[in-house]
Amino acid sequence: MVVSCDEPETVVTNFIHPDGSITRKIEMRNNENKFKHSDLQVPFDSSWTVKDSSEVDEKGDTTWIKRAEKTFKNVDELNLTYKNDSGANKMITRKAIFLKKFKWFNTEYRFTERIDKKLEYGYPLRDYLNTEELHYFFSPDNFKAEKATGPDSLKYKALNDSIKIKTDKWTMKNLVSEWIGEFSKLTKGKVGGELSLASLKSREDDFVKICESNEDKLDSLWAHGILLRQFIGETNALKYKNEADSALDIASNNFWINFKEYSVRISMPGDLTGTNGFIDSSQILLWPVKSDFFMTEPYEMWAESKIPNKWAWIVSGIFLVFVLTGVIIKVTKKG
Amino acid sequence: MMKMKDENYNRLINLLRESGVKLDSKEEIEAGVIKRISETRHSAFNIDNVVNFFFGWAYIGWVRRSLIAASVILILIFVYQQGVILRQINYLSRRTIVTEGPRSSFSSGAFKKELLIFKFTGMKLPSDNINISQKQLDQLLESVNELQDKYRDLINLIDSDPELKKYIEKKLNEKNRTKINL
Repeated sequence: MVVSCDEPETVVTNFIHPDGSITRKIEMRNNENKFKHSDLQVPFDSSWTVKDSSEVDEKGDTTWIKRAEKTFKNVDELNLTYKNDSGANKMITRKAIFLKKFKWFNTEYRFTERIDKKLEYGYPLRDYLNTEELHYFFSPDNFKAEKATGPDSLKYKALNDSIKIKTDKWTMKNLVSEWIGEFSKLTKGKVGGELSLASLKSREDDFVKICESNEDKLDSLWAHGILLRQFIGETNALKYKNEADSALDIASNNFWINFKEYSVRISMPGDLTGTNGFIDSSQILLWPVKSDFFMTEPYEMWAESKIPNKWAWIVSGIFLVFVLTGVIIKVTKKG
Repeated sequence: MMKMKDENYNRLINLLRESGVKLDSKEEIEAGVIKRISETRHSAFNIDNVVNFFFGWAYIGWVRRSLIAASVILILIFVYQQGVILRQINYLSRRTIVTEGPRSSFSSGAFKKELLIFKFTGMKLPSDNINISQKQLDQLLESVNELQDKYRDLINLIDSDPELKKYIEKKLNEKNRTKINL
């Protein structure tokens, strides 16, 4: 296991323009003047404008800052950068989507940054957490730390503990589900009805219970084939040991993403009308990006805004006055 | 076309000459013609004509009804759109503001998941290297220290109370019996 201290604290800010172009600014902060390409969470290259600086705090500690900026003509150009990414988060699939809708009085804009899910057979987190827990789970660390030390600290401690218990169950269930899915793929056409995907799925909860009650010995139980015997029976465990081991390797590879956390900020044109993000003190939208967020469902960071079409308001006003005048003239002359 | 007009004009003049028409008061005729022309021009700027030109549609039933319907639809769209936008803006204004600042070391729980998978897969590393950041390492050390403190407190507590010690031993034995038989 390699211990790395080179991971910079990274914040990406997207300034969305009405024509669909995007000015992207990346700010990376590190306690060493090392910004190795393989450690960077978000891709940038020599075509960006890069500025280096440093800050010294009151304790005398130096923070090295690298700022990169580039304007992309459209989301396709930005997506190409993601596609060619060879940095720390190259294992995940990221995509930006921009939509512009003309609605006469207003033009509406929607910008989304989407990270594809990693697990094929996982369960959505909303099956385990309620609305309040989900909101807390997806919130930035600063928000959580503030709540944990604030006046309602006991409430948030209990909430945090409840989330931990539930997400542990969610993780175990996903691991078992992923193993079942991969095992079924590898044994397709070779096994009978008792080892079919549907049959294994129907016993999934029992498998999870076995794993949970033996969490401290999982490695030895698996290595000695005991867990597998419990899952699929003595004969099948001997027959399909290789497939079972391969399925576990694939499942754990899908789980164990080499991912480095960062934050995304989005500034939309016009007035903000909708978002699933958090609003920071400079009225810019903020999302933390962590590996748990896109395990079983795509993680979408979206924002909507609108710009009023002033010319459409004027044209509509003239039209209404014109029709009203015509009606008044008609009524007056008739009278 | 011009040629045809000229021929018609010449034919008319010849007809008038041959018919021998005598004009008694040329000035009167001239004044009359000028007056009629000026009257025609004046009537082109008449306000009634302008009103009739622009609002003539108001007297045609189906045009009038269509334009009124279009106006009502336009007003409804405007009211609906602005209503929805105002509601959305009000909702957003009530959202919590997140304070900025350096990233907190608050535990996210993600590292626990990595440890669980690591344990489940028999300590096998799936890829070449797994990087652990300074933050995660700090979290791990902090958790280990915290766990050690709590464990020490717990042991002291159990040792000081024989009944509790007996009860815990009994519970541990029960738990071991419920686990799968190795």
